[in-house]
Amino acid sequence: MTFAPEHDVPIPYMQRTRDYYVALGYGTPYRWAHYAEVPFSPLKTPLAQARVTLITTAAPYQPGAGEQGPGAKYNAAAKFYKVYSEATDTVPDVRISHVGYDRVHTTAEDPSTWFPLARLQEAVKAGRIAALTPRFHGAPTNRSQKVTLETDAPELLRRCREDGADVALLVPS
Amino acid sequence: MSLVARHLEAGGISTVVMGCAKDIVEHCGVPRFLFSDFPLGNSAGRPFDVESQAFTLELALRVLESAPAARTTVQSPLRWREDPAWKLDFSNLDHLTPEEISERRKEFDAGKAIARGKRAET
Repeated sequence: MTFAPEHDVPIPYMQRTRDYYVALGYGTPYRWAHYAEVPFSPLKTPLAQARVTLITTAAPYQPGAGEQGPGAKYNAAAKFYKVYSEATDTVPDVRISHVGYDRVHTTAEDPSTWFPLARLQEAVKAGRIAALTPRFHGAPTNRSQKVTLETDAPELLRRCREDGADVALLVPS
Repeated sequence: MSLVARHLEAGGISTVVMGCAKDIVEHCGVPRFLFSDFPLGNSAGRPFDVESQAFTLELALRVLESAPAARTTVQSPLRWREDPAWKLDFSNLDHLTPEEISERRKEFDAGKAIARGKRAET
């Protein structure tokens, strides 16, 4: 009988991050959002008839905002603070240098690992989903839960409705 | 992102989150979650591996179709590496020297100052 190694489990990010920032000298730990109740809205349309939207935390490339390419250090100057939307009929230049992805084990060379628009376009061609909404949307990651709840999430819902989205695929980077 | 999924779902749009931080997403609580046990930044599959990306998307679509209730998590069967040692590295203090910790603090403070300035502009 051979079990997997004890550490072969999903990384305990909350514990790691708490310990990390305490060691760096920041006493008040970040409080992650936490709810007992979770909404549920069953799929109303078969996916082959559904219009799908994509929501990303990736940022549009910003010339002049420093290094944003593969392997770039954490780049706070590349952050964005307002919901943005761009067309889904191309593959736009979106980057993740502004978030804390795993810089040791990920080089961020292939945008399709955090932004599955090309795969979604293929799913439309294959008839797996009916269509993409004309726009995908960018959700800011500014660590203010109040802004996310009161400003960004309602704005994203408004844009999803405007585009007639039945389904949303949310991909944090 | 979990907060956004909850808000859309409450507004009548069915959602699925594709992510790599299992504890954070489940702590918040989302309707449907496809978890990939990959390093952060690879929620949609392995780099330059279209097959793994298409498979990951297909799993997410199937979670949308078949989740029986809220808080449904499905874990992708794909593995990042055969050896799970990569999981020990992320923000792990046991792997950092005091000098490295001090350097990280400086970088963090610098990043916060830039973000604060940028937020003030918007």
